[in-house]
Amino acid sequence: MYLLPGKLGLLSLLTLVSTMVVASGTYQEPEDFLSQAFAGDVPEPGIIWLTGERKDAVKSLLGHRYHSLRIRYWKTAERSAWILDEIGKDQPITTGLVINAGRLEQIKVLVFRESRGWEIRHPFFTEQFKQARLNESRELDRNIDGISGATLSVRAMKKLAALALYLDAELRAFDVSSSP
Amino acid sequence: MSRHHRRKQRLKLRSFYVWHRYMGISAAVFTLVIAATGILLNHTEDFQFDSKHVQSDWVLDWYGIKAPQDMHSFLAGDRYITLMGEHLYLNRREVEGGYRQMVGAILNKDIFVVAVSDSIILLTLRGELIDRLQRSDGIPAGILRIGTDAGGAVIVQTSLDHYQPDADFLHWSRWDNDPASVRWATPSPLDPRLKSALQHHFRGEVLPVERVILDLHSGRFFGQLGPWVFDAAAVLLILLSLSGTWIWLKRRR
Repeated sequence: MYLLPGKLGLLSLLTLVSTMVVASGTYQEPEDFLSQAFAGDVPEPGIIWLTGERKDAVKSLLGHRYHSLRIRYWKTAERSAWILDEIGKDQPITTGLVINAGRLEQIKVLVFRESRGWEIRHPFFTEQFKQARLNESRELDRNIDGISGATLSVRAMKKLAALALYLDAELRAFDVSSSP
Repeated sequence: MSRHHRRKQRLKLRSFYVWHRYMGISAAVFTLVIAATGILLNHTEDFQFDSKHVQSDWVLDWYGIKAPQDMHSFLAGDRYITLMGEHLYLNRREVEGGYRQMVGAILNKDIFVVAVSDSIILLTLRGELIDRLQRSDGIPAGILRIGTDAGGAVIVQTSLDHYQPDADFLHWSRWDNDPASVRWATPSPLDPRLKSALQHHFRGEVLPVERVILDLHSGRFFGQLGPWVFDAAAVLLILLSLSGTWIWLKRRR
C-alpha cells in the first residue's frame, strides 16, 4: 500500500507516542518480583539501617544520601533480595535485585516513571550485570555498556547494583538491625 | 553625475543612516535581553536553572503564584506536622517525597508516625525519612485514624477494625482492646508565624528559574503583548542588518 508522506509522518508520530506511553509504568509489582525470586516462598523481611559509616558509604556509592534511613531486605542462607529506588533524571526508578553469594544474580526494573531511558529494562542491558560483584574500591568489577539517550537511567542502575552488593556484604558481615 | 544629483544622494544616505541609528537604539534593549537570556539558557544544566526555584516575592506575585490556604496540621509532641498541597512538613522542614490526604500524626518514642497517602511515614525527630510503608508492606488498608493506646503503643483504625504494628512496623495485628482508651490524633490549628513561613516556602518551590529565563527570552514575561513586541524587535534586528550592509556598500562606492 502506498503511504503519503503526511500519513507516514502521522503513523511515525503515533508509534512514537504509543511507545512512550507503554515505556513508563509498572512492569512488575514488587511483591510479584519477590515471589518469583524465592519461588513463592518469600522469607520474612529484615531491616538494614543506614546510619554511621554505612550512611557515609551509601552516600559515596550514590553520590547523595539514600532517601530513607532504613531499607528492607528478604534473605535466605546465601541469597538476598532488595527493592531499591534511585532517581534517573527526575523520578525514582524502582528496581528489584537479587544477590547470591556476593554476586548479582538478577536486576530488574519494576517501576519506571521517567519519560526517557526506559530501554534499561530490556534484558540486553540487564544481562550485563549478571554475576557482577564489588571490587575493593566498591565499584562493579566489570564495564557496563551504556545506552544512547538513557545515560542517567543507566547510571542509576549501576548505582543500585553497587548499593545492593554493598548492603548484602554488610548483611553478612555485621548485625544490621540495630536502629540509631 | 551632476553636483545636484550627488548632493541628493548624500542626503538620502544620511537620512537612511539616521533611520538605521534609531532602529539600532530601539532594538538595543531587546538585543541585550535576548542575548543575555540566550547565553543563560545555553547553560541551564551547568547553573542548575531547571532545579533552582525563584524566591523573589514580586516575581512570584507577577506570575500569580499563591500558596494554598488549605492546610492540614497535627501537633505531635511539640512539633507541627503539616500537609500543604503535596508537601509535608515537620515544623519548617520539608519531608522528602510527595503526599496527599493526611489522616493523622503522632510521636511514638523518638519517631514521628504519620498516616498519609494511604501509607505510614516514619520520621526522625529531625524530620529525616526513616521509611515509607505502603499496602504492599503489610499496613492495613483505608486508615481512618491514628493514635496511641494507654501504654503509648501505636493504634490505627480502619473501616473494619483496629490494628497495632510490631516494633519495626513490619507486621500488623488486630487490636481488640477498648477503642475508648485510645488517644486519637486530631487536627490542630497551625501557629500563624509557622503558617506564614510554610506558605513562603511553598511558593519558593514552584517556579523554576529556567521558566523565568525562557519567558524573558520569548517576551512572555511581559504579558500577552510581550511576544509581539519581541517579534517586532526581531524584525528591527533583521532590518538593521540589511540597512547596515546597505550603508556600508554605499559608503564604499
